[in-house]
Order: sequence, then C-alpha cells, then structure tokens
Amino acid sequence: MKSFSQEYSDLPDYILKITKEIWEDRGLSTLHRYYAPELPMRFPSGIVTGNRAVIDGTLATLAEFPNRQLLGEDVIWSGYDEVGFLSSHRNVSTGTHTGHGIYGPPTGRKFVARAIADCAAKDNVIYDEWLIRDAGGIVRQLGMKPKRFARDQIKREGGADRAVRPFHPRDDVQGGYVSRGNDNEWGARLADILTRIMEKDFTVFRHEYDRACRVEHPGAVGGWSFDFVETEWMRLRSSFPTATFDIHHQIGRSDTAQPHRAAVRWSLTGKHSGYGAFGAPSGAEVHIMGITHAEFGPFGLRREFTLWDEVAIWKQIHLHTGACE
Amino acid sequence: MKGFDAKWRDVPHYINGITYDIWEGRQIGALRQLYAPGLIVRSPASVVVDNSGVIAATLATLAEFPDRELLGEDVIWCDDPEGTTATSDAYLSSHRLMCTATHAQAGAYGAPTGAKLRYRILADCAIRDGAVYDEWLVRDQAAIVGQMGHDLVDWVRAQIGRESGAAGCVKPMTPETDVPGPYTRRGNSDAWGARYAAVISRLMAGELDVVRSGYARAANLHYAGGVDAFGWRGADAFWIGLRAAFPSAAFTVEHVVGRADALSPPRAAVRWSLHGTHSGWGRFGVPSGAQVYVMGICHAEFDADGAIRREFALIDDTAIWKQILLHTGAHA
Repeated sequence: MKSFSQEYSDLPDYILKITKEIWEDRGLSTLHRYYAPELPMRFPSGIVTGNRAVIDGTLATLAEFPNRQLLGEDVIWSGYDEVGFLSSHRNVSTGTHTGHGIYGPPTGRKFVARAIADCAAKDNVIYDEWLIRDAGGIVRQLGMKPKRFARDQIKREGGADRAVRPFHPRDDVQGGYVSRGNDNEWGARLADILTRIMEKDFTVFRHEYDRACRVEHPGAVGGWSFDFVETEWMRLRSSFPTATFDIHHQIGRSDTAQPHRAAVRWSLTGKHSGYGAFGAPSGAEVHIMGITHAEFGPFGLRREFTLWDEVAIWKQIHLHTGACE
Repeated sequence: MKGFDAKWRDVPHYINGITYDIWEGRQIGALRQLYAPGLIVRSPASVVVDNSGVIAATLATLAEFPDRELLGEDVIWCDDPEGTTATSDAYLSSHRLMCTATHAQAGAYGAPTGAKLRYRILADCAIRDGAVYDEWLVRDQAAIVGQMGHDLVDWVRAQIGRESGAAGCVKPMTPETDVPGPYTRRGNSDAWGARYAAVISRLMAGELDVVRSGYARAANLHYAGGVDAFGWRGADAFWIGLRAAFPSAAFTVEHVVGRADALSPPRAAVRWSLHGTHSGWGRFGVPSGAQVYVMGICHAEFDADGAIRREFALIDDTAIWKQILLHTGAHA
C-alpha cells in the first residue's frame, strides 16, 4: 500500500473508508480524485464511462434513496502496488424509497439488499470497475416484480429502440486492469465449484458444501443446506443450458483470524433456451455478469453470496421478444 | 477423545454426528446410551430431571414434525479437565443448529398448521464417556410460534390451557425449579470468550455505546423470534428491548467459551441469565411486576479487527410470557 495515502492501513480500510465518505458522508465530489476520469464502470444494466457519470449516478441514487447506507460486509482482495489491487467488496445496502428515480415514483418502502463491487485500485485511485447490485431484491421489496419492472423500464427509457442496452462483452472496453486475480487455493476451489455447477455436475453441493451452509442469492433470497442452493443454481443453468461459462477473475485469501474466503467474477453468455428462473425459453442472446463470495469452514463451503442482476436479464429477454409494451 | 467411540474425530464431529444419527438417522433408541442416566435438561420452558421419557419426547416431536432436519451451524467447545474421569475425557459443547421442519401433525404446538419452519437452537451439553450428562438448551420458540401463524401471547395462553391451567402447567426454568447438575464449570479462559462476555455485560449495564466499538458496522445479527438484522441499529434494538423490560434484574454470566480455530473465525459462546422483576416497558409490553428468569445463549464470530461480525442470540419469549401471564392471571 505504498502508493496509497497514509491514512489507510490496508486495502479493505481504503475501500470501506472511501465508500462511506462518498455515500454517507456525501463526498460525491471526492470521486473526482478517487475515481479515474475515464474509468469504465460495468453494471449488468450497462456500461458507464468516466467519473463524472459515476458522480451523476451516485447523486441520482441518493436523490431516490437519501438515507441509503452501505454496510461493508467484506473486502476480498488481491494484487500489489506495482500492478494494482483488486478489491471485491460485498456490502449490504439499506434505504427508503422516498424520491423519483430509476425505480419509478417513490413507494415509501424500505429495502435491504446486497451488492458486490470489484474495483481495481492503484495510486489512491479506482480505475476499473465491475458492480452488481441485487436489482431484483430491491424491485421486489419496493413491491414490484423484476419481469414487469424490466418492461416498464424499457418504456421509461423510450421504448425498445432507445432503451439502455444491458452490458454485453461486445460493448466492453479496456480499463487498464488485466490481472486475473491470485493463485490462492481457496479461490481455485471456488472457481472449481462454479465450473462444476456450470458443467451440470450437481453432486458438487453435497461434496463441497457444509450441510448447514447458508446461501444468499439474487432477489434478496437466502436459505440453508443443499436443497436451496441446488435449486437456485439449477434454475439459473436450466434457463441458459448452452450458454458459455467464463471465469474472469478469482481471489482466494487465508487471512489471520478469518475463515478462508474466495471471490470469483464469472459470466454466462448465450441463448435463453430453457425453462428455469426466467419463464418460457425466448431464444434471447443474454449476457449474465455474476460475482460469488464464499467462506469455507471445517465441513466445507459454509457461506455463499452470489449476485446476478435479474432485471438486466429480463431486459435482454424483453428486448429480444419485443414484449416491451 | 478418550471415552468416546473411535469413529468421532473431535467434539464437533461427535456432536453433529450424534445429532444426525438420533434425529435424521432415526436411531432414537441410541438415546439410552447417548444420554447419561440422571441427565438434567434445562430449557427456559422446563427443567427435566428424569430423562426416562426422552425417547417418548423425541418420538412425539418427530410425530409432529416428521421431516425435521437439524443443520449443525457451529460447535463452540472447550476442554473440561475437572470433569475428566478415569475412563473418559470431558468437554462442554455449545452447539448452534438451524432446524427445518413442516408442522404436519397435531402435537405440543396444537393442531397442525402445515407451516414450513426454520428456527435456531443453541444447546450447551456437558459430555463424557460417550454421552451427554448435563444440558442447557434454548430453542427459538417465538420463531416457531410466529411461523405457525399464531400470536405469541395468545399461543402461550392456549399452551397454559392445554397444560391444564395455571396450577398444573409445566413450570418454566427459574432458580426455584432449577436443579444443580454435575457440570459446575464456567468454561475456558480464551480471550475471545472474555471479550464477548464483556460486551454482553456492558450492554446489560446500559453501556449501549459498546455497540459501536464492539460490533462491525455491517454485523449480521440473528435474534430470537427468527429476526435477522444488520449493523449497529439492529444490535442496539435487540439488547435495549430486552434490558428495558427487566431494568433492575440481576444479570449473570453463567458460562463462557472462546475459540480461535484454524478453519474458523475467532468465536465465542456465552450463556447468561437475567433474574428479576418485569418492571419496564420493552420487549414484553406493559410492565407486569412478574418475577422472571431469562436464560440466554449467544454465539458470536469476530472479524479481523476484533469486532463482532455475526451474532446469534436466543432467549425463549414463550417461557418469559408464561411467567408474566402466570403472574398477572391473564392466562385464562
């Protein structure tokens, strides 16, 4: 952390402090210094470029949810000064929907949902980012459904021709961070688990997970043990059974006084050709950005936190079928 | 693990293993060996000194909840050198379980509701010679009753009725009904246990500012009633709500275990009690003046900065309401 300001003891400290400063302490303008001018920020909903756009997005979110809090649950990180660091930051966001914004007219409802942000940092600056919010979890808690909400969103954005396109690798740009993480065994273990799931080896849970595992998934749903986690992953994979699975980044950590942890960013790219979590097969070409965090214990994987963005998936399906009205 | 079957690697393996064997493995008859003669099982709802009925009780629970699963989330344990015998090592295990079950048949909880239940249990078991010989257990009864769709107080009132009224009903655990058992130790001297006991003691002393120094800002909190909460506000609300109801009650730390194991975060298990008058507004409504005994068991995991990152705190709200209703006479 030589290249970072002395006020930060380590990378997690830096990430947690600037997050609080930006959001809760209202330091939006600090993004001029904390974020690179041309940084690409990839959301499942689309790519945003440059710190000015990030400031405007932050402002819009705060206008919609002024009391939004971001509670940092974990920072799983890799890298070093010379090549840059990658922080995979999992947080729990809370807020009350009191303003107009991307979620429509204020509902007055509260939400609690997770987000995971993969940020590349060097010399005190974030210069490359991938961020998944549990949009489906927020939408549901505000009293809506992701499928319908995605349709309304397309309408609000001017219809199918003009709506913002969800993120797809063909639109990606190089932001400067090229590492694929570290070679810690726990990162490799989580990457292997995800690969086996995507290869449809659904015995993996009973071999690799603790029977009392707790799993948190998109839609702000959570559950215990094998049945829940199996069903969740089956419903995703069976919706996109032929999609290509890629691992983009993996981190494992064995820190003092912490369980072994891992963070993996992955994607599924391909056709919506099966039944599962997204209704009748539509044939839509879909890209799904996913991030999974895991903690391991004495009896296997003990806690799993996975995010993908259901709204962005539904939006890609609606834009394909034209069922936007 | 001298004195235990060689198939058990360690205390967590034994505790999780016998729990599985008894309940899901249906080896209910094995309780004759796994529960030592004279075992005292204390829960907030009752003190059971005669375990000859344990097989019947287990069958009754399984009859009501045939698909009950007990998922062992953690075992926080310590050596018990003083309890060692010529034939066996001795240990104290604090076991945290997530139970899932369907309320499929009539039983102690009343007519079947079909409700899918998920609730925690924290059980402190003293073990040696391959058996449990002393026990303290807190089940999240408020979660069970709430998930069945009952109003908590109404359910307790009905329970008193099912148990043939105020005079004949099962008496909750209090110093009057408690029975001293063979396990009299206070745990181990690990620093993480001491740290957690100090946090709870300060909370009970009204030093709520300990929430900000003792808990992570994003702490994941799991409280009685099946409540999941986050962060400082969540911790503050639970502990204030409890203490405010019994502001002058005596708080006692009964048992403390701390551990720093290779594959786990540093963690602690604390069993405590509150004993005194229900004289304040808080978790239990109108101050009733009832003398109340509260047994609590809590588990905590710490983060790299030594702050509580996860907390699991159980009391039995139904046993507390029972004491209040029996005092006020509002049970009829």
